Amino acid sequence: MSVVESPTTRRTGGSTPHRAPRRATRSRRSRPGAATPWLLAIPTLILLAGLLGYPLVRMVVLSFQNMRLRELISGRTPPWVGFDNYTKVLTDSVFWTVVGRTVGFTVVCVVVSVVIGLGIALLMRRVAYGVRMLMVVAMMFVWALPQLVAAQIFRWITDSDFGVLNYVLDKVPGLNYQNHSWFVNPWQGWAVITTLVVWAGVPFLAITLNAGLTQVPKELVEAATVDGATPWQVLRNITLPILKPLLTIVTTLSVIWDFGLFTQNWALRDGHPEPVYQTLATYSYTQAFGQSRYSLGSAISVITVLLMLGVMAFYIRQMFKIGEVD
Amino acid sequence: MKRQLVAVAALAATLLGAAACGSNDDDSPTTSASGPVDGKGKTLKVWLMVDAQSAWKGVVDDASKRFTAATGAQVNVEYQQWANHLTKLDATLAGSDVPDVVELGNTEFPKYVFSQAFAAINPGDYENSGTWLAGLKGACDFEGKTYCVPYYAGARVLIYRTDLFKSAGIAAAPKSYDEFLADADKLQVASKSDTKFGAVYMPGQYWYSAMSWVKAGGGEIAKQDGGKWAGQLSQPASVQGLQKWVDLVKKYSKADPTKNENDQAGIFAQGQAGMFYGNAWELGAAEQIKKDPNDPNSALVDTKVKGKLAAAPMPDVPSFLGGSNLGVTEKSQNKELAAQWVKYFTDSTSMAGLIKANALPNSTALLDKAATDNPAIAPSALAAKSSWFTPNAEKWADVEKGNVLQTMLTDIITGKKSVADGAKWADDQINSTLNES
Repeated sequence: MSVVESPTTRRTGGSTPHRAPRRATRSRRSRPGAATPWLLAIPTLILLAGLLGYPLVRMVVLSFQNMRLRELISGRTPPWVGFDNYTKVLTDSVFWTVVGRTVGFTVVCVVVSVVIGLGIALLMRRVAYGVRMLMVVAMMFVWALPQLVAAQIFRWITDSDFGVLNYVLDKVPGLNYQNHSWFVNPWQGWAVITTLVVWAGVPFLAITLNAGLTQVPKELVEAATVDGATPWQVLRNITLPILKPLLTIVTTLSVIWDFGLFTQNWALRDGHPEPVYQTLATYSYTQAFGQSRYSLGSAISVITVLLMLGVMAFYIRQMFKIGEVD
Repeated sequence: MKRQLVAVAALAATLLGAAACGSNDDDSPTTSASGPVDGKGKTLKVWLMVDAQSAWKGVVDDASKRFTAATGAQVNVEYQQWANHLTKLDATLAGSDVPDVVELGNTEFPKYVFSQAFAAINPGDYENSGTWLAGLKGACDFEGKTYCVPYYAGARVLIYRTDLFKSAGIAAAPKSYDEFLADADKLQVASKSDTKFGAVYMPGQYWYSAMSWVKAGGGEIAKQDGGKWAGQLSQPASVQGLQKWVDLVKKYSKADPTKNENDQAGIFAQGQAGMFYGNAWELGAAEQIKKDPNDPNSALVDTKVKGKLAAAPMPDVPSFLGGSNLGVTEKSQNKELAAQWVKYFTDSTSMAGLIKANALPNSTALLDKAATDNPAIAPSALAAKSSWFTPNAEKWADVEKGNVLQTMLTDIITGKKSVADGAKWADDQINSTLNES
């Protein structure tokens, strides 16, 4: 008798009306072994509680205290301040500007990288095998590059004194990019950061979506083409609906990653981002570790987590949905 | 019901524990560095900044040797990087295995003194304590006690290209600010054909420099008034100083307005500027660079400007007095030993070693000697005599970390804000940071 419900047992269960009574009887019969799944999961649960749960609880507790350097060093319990940190953060216009900037960046970045990723994935289905392999290898290299290294490289490319970007642009007749500083104008600065994030994010999207595209039945596409569908119609009515679950997942993942932007703007601004280059993650880090406002930083993090919770919940639900479809 | 009881008991225990901890924190006795201490079998952990490793490791080793001979204790020196040393220090001080002696920049000290990270010391135990440089010692003082020992100082000077000066027909280093501007004009004219050339290299976020100009015009960054700090940058004298600096940058500098001074020596070494404003040791850093920057023992290679540089005090502009202090940590298990090591490392013998390594000594009494013993640091020794220091507020380090002055300068240079608006904004930021409870 199996306690864990595997897909095979479920499929043999047949149509839904029959399932309810069956499940009831089985659960009654399997009561003596009900602890087994929990026992098996205990090592994982302990690890999760230790690695994720404990810091999370400490962070929430910290956000209701006022921990400064003095308390950190002496080890004294910081004074409890209730919701003071939250009121301070939520009434601070700087915080809301940072939230707006983070959200705006996330939207732009996700849209651009998903569109480019999907485009490359579609292209990969059309090119010869050798070219496809070449594309995969090239993208693997980008993907394998640590974020910090990539950010440093971009910092050098855009350096105002030695950067190769200025050098090349300056060679173009009519353009004067000598000693041009890319981070004076925030739009230009953010364009550099966005380029970096998109560049680093596209390989994952393209390779995953390419894998998803192999699941689109050829017969379906052929039939549609025979019926006179344009390539655009095929994409909209056949490819995208089949790709939708995967597309939703990678988009949500991108949202989560881009929303937590830290390494790229941090490294490009040499570890001290100006106010216009602060995102929620760097803002909370600067507050907590730069200015020793540990509790305020915690409160910002808690709010960030809450903001992300909606996206996370959507992502997890989607994951379960896909599990059910299979 | 039972669970509730347990929770209440746990809470009570925590509160009791907290109360117990809270009662014995203040007024630890002053740590003495005089009198014999037996340190046999003990090892002292010392955190120095990387400069000591790259420029005067011999002085460190010599002081440790003398210390070991006197006390029998061993010394383990760990060298730290400027970029992340505070974050590392915070994390370490939160634990129990802490370094016994820590070096911090003088502007970083007040925050840690206020946060009770360092033990009070007795200045009389240390050589030259009567003539310690005010800019260094000020950072150590808190409520009538001294919490650190001045270590070394640096003052900024004008570093210039002798070859370009000569070809532009300038005979000597400028003696007044007007002369300095006139020289910059001449350099600019002489190198007109090179579009990348700027007479003065001055990166936009170089706030030590900008604030020196503020001080030159009689301005202030902030001052304390009845227990509250008030930013002074929007006062007329300060605005005038800022304006003067911004005019200089706009007219003569090709530097990135969003960069700071960290790599100015390297950029200057490319040969596209006539003068820059830096620490005395940056002259050497511009003339020679390490072949492998990641290897402290790497061979040196000459740059384009090798042998073409000279230094002089910046005329009519007081220098920011940078430098470092040494503190004995409050959590150290070997405070008296630690204080003894600091005594050896800051005595006249060690100071003589520092002077040889182009650093300024910690005492005004030794500055003249430094100028005669080592001509290379004569200009900066002179500059140190007319110097200024950041507001001695315990939260000043947060203003630095918060990029307040840097952001203001970039905004002003790029024209995003007028000088007056930028200064007003910076004052608001300074007020809210320094007066935060």
